[in-house]
Amino acid sequence: MRNSTPKDIGSINFGLMEPEEYREMSATKIITADTYDDDGFPIDMGLMDPRLGVIDPGLECKTCGKHSGSCNGHFGHIELAAPVIHVGFTKLIRRLLRGTCRECSRLLLTEDEKEEFHGQIDEAQKLGRDLNDVTKAAIRQARKKDRCPHCGEVQYDIDHEKPTTYYEVQQVLTSEYSQRIAGAMQGQDEDAERMSPDELAAETEIDLSRINEILSGSFRPRESQRKAIEKALDIDLTEEDTNKLMPSDIRDWFEAIPDEDIEVLGIDPDRSRPEWMILTVLPVPPVTARPSITLDNGQRSEDDLTHKLVDIIRINQRFMENREAGAPQLIIEDLWELLQYHVTTFMDNEISGTPPARHRSGRPLKTLSQRLKGKEGRFRGSLSGKRVNFSARTVISPDPTLSLNEVGVPDRVAKEMTQTMNVTERNVEKARRFVSNGPEGHPGANYVRRPDGRRLKVTEKNCEQLAEKVKPGWEVNRHLIDGDIVIFNRQPSLHRMSIMAHEVVVMPYKTFRLNTVVCPPYNADFDGDEMNMHALQNEEARAEARVLMRVQEQILSPRFGENIIGAIQDHISGTFLLTHNNPRFNETQALDLLRATRIDELPEPSGVDDQGEPFWTGYDVFSELLPDDLNLEFTGTVGEKVAIEDGQLIEGTIAEDEVGEFGGEIVDTITKIHGKTRARVFINEVASLAMRSIMHFGFSIGIDDETIPEEAQARIDETIDDAYDRVEELIEAYERGELESLPGRTVDETLEMKIMQTLSRARDNAGNIADEHFTEENPAVVMAESGARGSMLNLTQMAGCVGQQAVRGERINRGYENRTLSHYKENDLSAEAHGFVENSYTSGLTPREFFFHAMGGREGLVDTAVRTSKSGYLQRRLINALSELETQYDGTVRDTSDTIVQFEFGEDGTSPVKVSSGEDNEIDVEHIADRVLDSEFDSEQDKQEFLGRRPRPTNLSEHADDRLSIESTEVSSDD
Amino acid sequence: MVDVSQHELVPEHTVLEEETLEEVLTEYDIDRTDLPKIKRNDPALPDDAAVGNVIKIVRDSRTTDQAVVYRLVVE
Repeated sequence: MRNSTPKDIGSINFGLMEPEEYREMSATKIITADTYDDDGFPIDMGLMDPRLGVIDPGLECKTCGKHSGSCNGHFGHIELAAPVIHVGFTKLIRRLLRGTCRECSRLLLTEDEKEEFHGQIDEAQKLGRDLNDVTKAAIRQARKKDRCPHCGEVQYDIDHEKPTTYYEVQQVLTSEYSQRIAGAMQGQDEDAERMSPDELAAETEIDLSRINEILSGSFRPRESQRKAIEKALDIDLTEEDTNKLMPSDIRDWFEAIPDEDIEVLGIDPDRSRPEWMILTVLPVPPVTARPSITLDNGQRSEDDLTHKLVDIIRINQRFMENREAGAPQLIIEDLWELLQYHVTTFMDNEISGTPPARHRSGRPLKTLSQRLKGKEGRFRGSLSGKRVNFSARTVISPDPTLSLNEVGVPDRVAKEMTQTMNVTERNVEKARRFVSNGPEGHPGANYVRRPDGRRLKVTEKNCEQLAEKVKPGWEVNRHLIDGDIVIFNRQPSLHRMSIMAHEVVVMPYKTFRLNTVVCPPYNADFDGDEMNMHALQNEEARAEARVLMRVQEQILSPRFGENIIGAIQDHISGTFLLTHNNPRFNETQALDLLRATRIDELPEPSGVDDQGEPFWTGYDVFSELLPDDLNLEFTGTVGEKVAIEDGQLIEGTIAEDEVGEFGGEIVDTITKIHGKTRARVFINEVASLAMRSIMHFGFSIGIDDETIPEEAQARIDETIDDAYDRVEELIEAYERGELESLPGRTVDETLEMKIMQTLSRARDNAGNIADEHFTEENPAVVMAESGARGSMLNLTQMAGCVGQQAVRGERINRGYENRTLSHYKENDLSAEAHGFVENSYTSGLTPREFFFHAMGGREGLVDTAVRTSKSGYLQRRLINALSELETQYDGTVRDTSDTIVQFEFGEDGTSPVKVSSGEDNEIDVEHIADRVLDSEFDSEQDKQEFLGRRPRPTNLSEHADDRLSIESTEVSSDD
Repeated sequence: MVDVSQHELVPEHTVLEEETLEEVLTEYDIDRTDLPKIKRNDPALPDDAAVGNVIKIVRDSRTTDQAVVYRLVVE
């Protein structure tokens, strides 16, 4: 494979193949069904003929002289005793039979119609429409003709019996015509009047004697007479007569179709003639496409295709023998059908209506089309996607000490996956060290390649000697080491952040380790998730991965243009604790908080406490991580203003909306203004600082944190009792018929709504009462407020009251007849009978409440399961439709055939990640322009010159500077 | 009958002059059949639009104020 230049494909033609072409490309004609003789040698002109290619290593191909591996194999051919239909074209054959004349084979369209369809085909081609629609319409038009417009021959219907049988259906005079006429003349119904032969003769204008002859059955009425009688008596004298079309008939029929008629049907007559759809010669795939395998016991086991070919040849021979012996037509037809069956299943063994050909064991054979079709088929399974080398998969686990750009790779993986090192003068020493470490020592090598192309395996035994031989020009396949770039992926790969490049950090044990902040883009957690890693194999790939795919390059999501990577969960609780109410730290504490960051010196202390010790505040500590020139002001998570001036946090609490994963304001701003590298450093440091601070404060949650005093519980009970009373009142009003219905609703619906409202208010009140007893320090409150995890609703349900359970958005109504459970009276409308849970999770649910809760919970589970599968399929279809669209250099979006889809990418030609805008902050063009100019020009003067406000003094003329503006008149020409 | 082309949500559709069309086609280096299509019976089309004409559509855009799109009238 080395040094092979890529070939350029000029063009590809699709069309039918001529029988003569099959013969020409054939290496040999196959006549015997046997494969090997008794000595195990392939039989000449048998299915394993050595001219068809070689599969056994060491043998030479009799056709091309190459050895196995380099010889691709050669086709053979079988001369079929009789033509058979190609199953792949049954629909087209049917169409052609229906659209052409049975006598003169010409298309059943007038010249004008042909002309029109010709034009339509050209237009459809130009507009990129489906040609099938036009050709289908042409056939539909042709089928309408009763007679051939060219030769006048009557046309019959063509019946297609799947898969490969065609009949001509003719309406002919039934054999019991005399009985039917007589019956009609007698009158089947009592009231119908009888008709005498005289009257019939008069009405049909046929001689009376003829009528009598017809009635006696001795004369078959002609077509016109039949029609007249049918009309007179209002009866049907015809019956269907089916006439089977043999493949040879169809072939003769198709041979006579003129070239210009086929063109109208969208077939190119230069490449494909319709008669080639009826096979007279069958190509035999090369042995390389159907290799036989030798089993352990020395027995040969043939490929399914070979088995099928054996069947075909056997029947083919029997057919010929029988025909030469002059066997009866019936037997010939049976054999013909059998041959057709075998050729059909050779190409497709999953045709409906035909039993699949089976192996001796009863397993259906895997024939040609089964090799191509479906997920595991050649296209989807072997070409679009395949198993790859240099990949690894294992369980993932967290490691907060890694940078978000890194991935911890188990040493045993690093020793298996290699990178190619081109040895030069400058790295020989290094390369030798790798080789001398051998395949077992860690930064070792597994293979070396000499300049002559020979590949040698590095083993424990030869590594020392081999290392000495390594010289510039060699290649060394060394182990993965720290700093190598690899691609890391977690399925389902729904967006581009599902595949990112990481730098390797080789580590002990068996799992891949990643920083927890990259969990959101991969949607990963550590409950057993596995991920894949791919080692890159050439310098271009490594460079591209590093520049485009590294995690830090993916901080901004193209979906919404804000950061998708940021602090999560405990990080947010940590920064919240650190900055909420701005706590004080002494020197040791402050240094401890910052010890996992780059900062190793504290700033000036904020002040001195009562003991005379200097102290630093949470703001000071956090500000150490910020870039010095950061200025920001916005409303934060807690609802207060957050202000940062010159990289100092002035006020506010740092939580989810500040440093969080989906659009944390500070992370987002740093990424956009200070760059991705700065953002990576910031996120890493925020994560470490947050972990240190959450450890400093201590953070745990227990059942006591959600327990409220008895007094509060009593108040909650009271509110709920109150709500019960109100529900009771509503029900009473409803039963008395006094309940006023809301506009657009029935009384029943109104009652349900009002009950739901009352109960939900009751739960909210219970929640509020519970809330009053939680301090700001309560860990659940900290998590809910900071946005780290959970919400106040979760807290309400834990401490106050779980509330109404719902299935399909309504109170629970299902179960028994007119009641939810047998514990209640029928038609009980009360709150508890329809799934209101008055207890909290801490106080515990009653069995009935628990049951209703399970009902509501189950619906949620089912919903998510259904949603993921549905949206997954939707996504797949969307991606397939969009995958070939590409933004061109001129800003347009086009598909592969160069048709325009968008005239400007997204109407504005901007990438969401390169633009900063939100609902409430417009793009500040002035500000951006100023920043660019400031960084671009060193002096104010250069800048002004660039902007053109201050033109360069000129010496063209004394008056040339007149156009200078007034404020810059002091710049006069004094050259 | 309501004339939908007068509705405020229907952007302006105008038939493109042949000369300007040539400019557009050279600008994008395409044949007119490579343009997106619009059906002749589309109610937003002006009455004088015939099959084979190219329509210029100017729509309001959230991000660029106005976005221009061309479409080929087909059967």
